[in-house]
Amino acid sequence: MTSTNWIKLEIPSDTRNVAFARTAVALFASQLDWTLDELEDIKVAISEAVSNCVIHGYGLQEGLVKIEASYSGPELRIVIEDFGRGIADIEEAQEVGFTSFPEERMGLGFTFMHEYMDEVLVSSQLGKGTTVTMVKRVRDSES
Amino acid sequence: MQYSFELEGQALIVTLRGELELHTSPEFKETLTKLFETHSHVTNLIMDVKGLSFVDSSGLGVILGRYRELQERGGRLFFVQANPQIKRILQMSGFQKISEFANSASDVLERI
Repeated sequence: MTSTNWIKLEIPSDTRNVAFARTAVALFASQLDWTLDELEDIKVAISEAVSNCVIHGYGLQEGLVKIEASYSGPELRIVIEDFGRGIADIEEAQEVGFTSFPEERMGLGFTFMHEYMDEVLVSSQLGKGTTVTMVKRVRDSES
Repeated sequence: MQYSFELEGQALIVTLRGELELHTSPEFKETLTKLFETHSHVTNLIMDVKGLSFVDSSGLGVILGRYRELQERGGRLFFVQANPQIKRILQMSGFQKISEFANSASDVLERI
């Protein structure tokens, strides 16, 4: 069996699909040797990234969310992309507590992604969309 | 997600089961807000999260919003039976500064 594998998903930006996305990608990720806590961490990170597409990318309106997950050896890579509004200031958006909806949002989405994944890269263009790439590596249980 | 409510004096005990996230949180928010309006004497919110299998920042935002409403009444927020994963995300979100953790709702009711 090869040590690489990948999946691609395209889903409408519907709030119902956030749970589907995190469950499907976590199921794929479970082909690697994570602890249960690490798998939960991956689910949170996916949930935050896809929720951002639905809420901020498309403002709860119709849109397309593309998700690619792959691994090569112990490295899991998840790319989540929307084609919505984009982010004006990526640095500011990733600050702890930053939110464009202060009444009900905590502004912790990117914080959770950074906390639970080893690498998070955000690229965005106003009016064109946002791509979040997250990487997490399986820890060597002997180290 | 499923949830149930129980009133004990000035405390509202909320038992959560399932996943509190973007899709499930709006209805939960609306229900809690209505309960706070109907029962204006409620000052303490006890969240029994034993059956909560998943929460993210969307779900935590709803809890924080209700805490802010309680805070105006001088109320307190408690989490009971949080599993390690839920406790970790609560602590990472700063909830340990504004809430207390307990083993059971009855422990909290004895304390308040």
